[in-house]
Amino acid sequence: MTAAVIAQLIVSGAFMGLVYALVAYGFQLTYATSKSINFGQGEMVMVSAFVSLSLTNAGLPYWLMVPGGLLFGAVIGLFVERAGVRLALEQKSEGWILLTIILGLFFFSASENIWGRDDRPFPTPIPSQAIQIFNIDITPLEISVAVGVLTIMGLIELFKRKTLLGKAFDAVSADRDAAELMGISARRTVMLSYALSGLSAAVAGILVSPITTVGPTMASALVLKAFSVAVVAGLDSGFGVVLVGLVLGALESMTSFLIGSGWREAPGLALLILALSVRPAGVFGKALIRKV
Amino acid sequence: MGRDWRAFGSRRDREAENVLIVDNLHAGYNASEVLVGTSLEVKKGTLVGLIGPNGAGKTTTMRAISGIIKPTKGRVLFDGRPVHGKDASRIARMGLAHVPEGRHVFGPLSLEDNLLLGGYSRFPRFFGFRARANADLDRVYSIFPRLRERRKQPAGTLSGGEQQMLAIGRALMSDPKVILMDEPSMGLAPVIVEEVFATISRLKETGIPILLVEQIARGALKVADYVYVMERGRIVIEGRPSDLQKDERVIAAYLG
Amino acid sequence: MVKRLLFIHGAELGMLLFLAAIPLIVHNTFALGLLTLLAIYGILLIGLDVTVGYLGQINLAQAAFLGLGAYTAGLTVSHFGFGMAGALLASTVVGFLFGTLLAFPALRLEGPQFALATLSFSALVATVLNEWESMTNGAQGLSIIRPTFFGLTLHAQGFYWLCLALLAVVWIGMNNLLSSQWGRAFEALRDSPIATDAMGIGVYRYKAAAFALGSGLGGLAGGIYAFNFQYLQPQIFVYELMVILLLGVVLGGRKSLWGAFVGAVLIVLLPNLLSNRALFRTLATAGFLAALLAGGRGYFRKTTRPFQAIAPVISMGLLVLVALTMPNTEDLRKAIFALMLFSVVVGLPEGLMGFAGKFLAKLFRIDPPALADPAPLAGVLRKREFSGSMLLELKNLKRYFGGVRAVDDVSLIVRPGQVHGLIGPNGSGKSTLVNVISGLYAPTGGIILFKDAPLATGSLYKAAHVGIARTFQNLQIFSELTALDNVMVAMKDTYKKPLPLLLLGLGMGEEHCGQAGALALLDMVGLRDEARTRAKDLPYGAQRFLEIARALARNPDLLILDEPAAGLAHSDVKKLVGIIREIHNNGITVILIEHHMEVVSELCDVVTVLDGGLVIAEGRPEDVKRHPMVIAAYLGATA
Repeated sequence: MTAAVIAQLIVSGAFMGLVYALVAYGFQLTYATSKSINFGQGEMVMVSAFVSLSLTNAGLPYWLMVPGGLLFGAVIGLFVERAGVRLALEQKSEGWILLTIILGLFFFSASENIWGRDDRPFPTPIPSQAIQIFNIDITPLEISVAVGVLTIMGLIELFKRKTLLGKAFDAVSADRDAAELMGISARRTVMLSYALSGLSAAVAGILVSPITTVGPTMASALVLKAFSVAVVAGLDSGFGVVLVGLVLGALESMTSFLIGSGWREAPGLALLILALSVRPAGVFGKALIRKV
Repeated sequence: MGRDWRAFGSRRDREAENVLIVDNLHAGYNASEVLVGTSLEVKKGTLVGLIGPNGAGKTTTMRAISGIIKPTKGRVLFDGRPVHGKDASRIARMGLAHVPEGRHVFGPLSLEDNLLLGGYSRFPRFFGFRARANADLDRVYSIFPRLRERRKQPAGTLSGGEQQMLAIGRALMSDPKVILMDEPSMGLAPVIVEEVFATISRLKETGIPILLVEQIARGALKVADYVYVMERGRIVIEGRPSDLQKDERVIAAYLG
Repeated sequence: MVKRLLFIHGAELGMLLFLAAIPLIVHNTFALGLLTLLAIYGILLIGLDVTVGYLGQINLAQAAFLGLGAYTAGLTVSHFGFGMAGALLASTVVGFLFGTLLAFPALRLEGPQFALATLSFSALVATVLNEWESMTNGAQGLSIIRPTFFGLTLHAQGFYWLCLALLAVVWIGMNNLLSSQWGRAFEALRDSPIATDAMGIGVYRYKAAAFALGSGLGGLAGGIYAFNFQYLQPQIFVYELMVILLLGVVLGGRKSLWGAFVGAVLIVLLPNLLSNRALFRTLATAGFLAALLAGGRGYFRKTTRPFQAIAPVISMGLLVLVALTMPNTEDLRKAIFALMLFSVVVGLPEGLMGFAGKFLAKLFRIDPPALADPAPLAGVLRKREFSGSMLLELKNLKRYFGGVRAVDDVSLIVRPGQVHGLIGPNGSGKSTLVNVISGLYAPTGGIILFKDAPLATGSLYKAAHVGIARTFQNLQIFSELTALDNVMVAMKDTYKKPLPLLLLGLGMGEEHCGQAGALALLDMVGLRDEARTRAKDLPYGAQRFLEIARALARNPDLLILDEPAAGLAHSDVKKLVGIIREIHNNGITVILIEHHMEVVSELCDVVTVLDGGLVIAEGRPEDVKRHPMVIAAYLGATA
């Protein structure tokens, strides 16, 4: 076990961790505006990836397929909001937990039947030949993951800070009624957050599929870890997800190598349960003040 | 008084005589009905006071007008158009600015962002809003110089008085046709309360109609052109301040 | 009374006898297998219902506990030579222990975080079962020998009767438990965790117990599962199974043992339902028509939201489409479950039993059991022992929220036996002050002495246990519980029987006692006739009085009333004054926050006036009302 091997493991793992961070970021977006998240997000990533795959197989060049996949992701996000979340929010209940689980199951089954149960390779123009940086193998694919994740997160953060609509987003997160009084429609903002969440899920799918292939296993594998990252970082913490994602990815990679690939999942899950025991609001999150 | 103040409220070109009409309003929360038939009017260019003891339903009235809660019966007409039952954001975009009780500034956002959001319905949503907003921002800052100093600070760190100024500035940014102000003095030290009432007087001179809810009756009586007194969900006395000043019933309504 | 007992328990007994008798009549191993499965899922769903129905939380770990129990049972037999009884006990204990363990992190969580914690646990268990090949044989599967039951070798029929007997035992035990204080506490937890804490009912304790109980039952179900199929693979205990379990609980009906049973029947029949195409088509169409009818009715009568009326029609319509067009329903299993579950969650949230329950109640009008006679009030509101001169003393108390100083250096003394008024304009800090005293917030600075000892701050539970009770400005009643249960759940020092005795149904004595006491309090506030009404169906004024009765159940030394007259009609305000007077006559010290000045004048011995977080006046009501600073605070300074 040389330092070089450890370093390699950490770096490779960290790249995957960025993908978890992106999906977790999607959770934060919807949680911020509506205190809800899509429990079926993993299935959304998978379906978006499959749709992107079909677009590519249908002959669309990569640079056209990407926006297509993103658009689909946004639309599916809107669907989840309409069908699974809005009713529960209006009734001020948590029924969206069960409803988004159900929607996820439905999409999983539909995708199994449309695209089959096998893992399929995802073609990409990005070369897979590894390059060496400081004696560590890094593939251009992995770099594209980092670039893609950070770009999307950066763009959305920029949107939130530099556009008025983005500021309105933060306003709804801070105080829904007061935002309405400014003329901001809270309902449309929640819809936007779900569209953005779906879009980031689609990006995650497109970025990671060339590495892990597209398939049914993608959904569960990705989402639980994204949950871990989101909860450990705090559902209202912003960029904390990147840090936690990197750490988790590295941990997973090491666990897989040292103990066994079947144990990959364990650190994320254990971390989640531990984090929730110690700090229910998340490592970077803020505690809530109760009002009576 | 600066041109700054008067620059606001330019949207009110063709105002109706009665900017706001509330007719037999009933509203409440869950099982309890708080308003049991409230009626009032706000005429063009006037400041109308709504006073009364706590629990009378003043804040509920405001919220039922601005749309945060939906009335169960009765009508609200804004500029002649019915707005009862509509979403709050829709009513706000029509030009009704509600400065809520407790101010409700957006804590994590900067003071300046709060002001910009006040003009949400007027400015472009993506790019170019800064250019459009600069003039209005400047005006608000010259009216409230203390706010300029703290423009980048998160609004949640401001003192109560500063938050109140911010909330009023936010309302002005929307170039409103009417302003609903709910207990601006609440929770503020007496010195600050004086400042707030001075601000309200100057606000009045812009000609923007104002509906002012206050628990501190005398402050409202000083600035209002017309006053309604609420008790237990309905209007019990109304009249001009000069007539009500000496009315024992007003004091009795508060302190029994 | 006999009629009632006969009706409810008669149905249960009848079903039990019916199920027990079937193997004697029908000699079909397939049917027997299904019935055994029914018993297994019955126990499993009863366990799941505790968290999903009573606590109202989404628990995604039950399938994992099934797995844990199953593997435990199998391994204790192969590694330690346990008999069946021992193995089943072991699987129950393992489920119970892991449930308790998981409860620690899950305890503090609500809603989504709780669901996530259970989901992660579930995935963790699946990973361990899969990877720990030396113990579990991993993905290859584990063969299980069915051990003897106290020496008896059980074949299909005997094993079935054992499972049925276990189901019956679980049913009786849970029935007893859920009709005791535990059942009330579970529901109170769900309706208002804050009020539950404030009434001295340990939220953590009961949540953990509920979860551990449900998991223990999951473990037990796992044990019989293992011995039924005699072959285990980790792939069985996965997400899909969990969703099916949820389907069972929701479709059957939450918060109901019969609901869990109906749900179990559905789960057992489901695979057969799908393979029989004609049956599936008929049922799907029937479901679609039902959704159309109910949806249409709800839409036009405006009793449900448009989405609630229309969405089930769409999902059931899709289901009919699938039934009619798809050749292979097996592949679309998950989608079919999803559509069914979606329709039920949106369109029939109370489940089949919830729906049927209303019908049955109308058809068979049974009188509820007679209520006990109310106990004498003096017995409930027993004498207080504090003899000092200052019941509550606040020294320089502060509570800040960021830049806002809600309570800014308040010192005051509340003397025993007095009605102490607390008034002031909006935003003066009154509610924040009592929220600090009662433990909702911890103070930012200053000291609180209660009964001459420092008061543990920041904990509603601890404050409740030293003798402080309160009502809330925004009602925090337990909406789904009856008025009687609302008060009974808060009764102090009444429920002492340990869990095992309660399971055996030996808690009737304290139930009776609690009921008598609660009725006395309901009588005092004029709600005796509404004892059986659900709190959420009571008129607003009655709900306010109910909160007072509930707080009195704590027999407190200090009762805090936070704007009890808010929103009350004039006649109710008069009633309120009478009630507070009677509270006073029983020697209870009261802090009264009020805006109705006539109430304050009539009742208060002394009044403290707050403004901007500071005390500006204190004294008798008539003196305070004329105090210039007080008038200025309310009406504004003159000129």
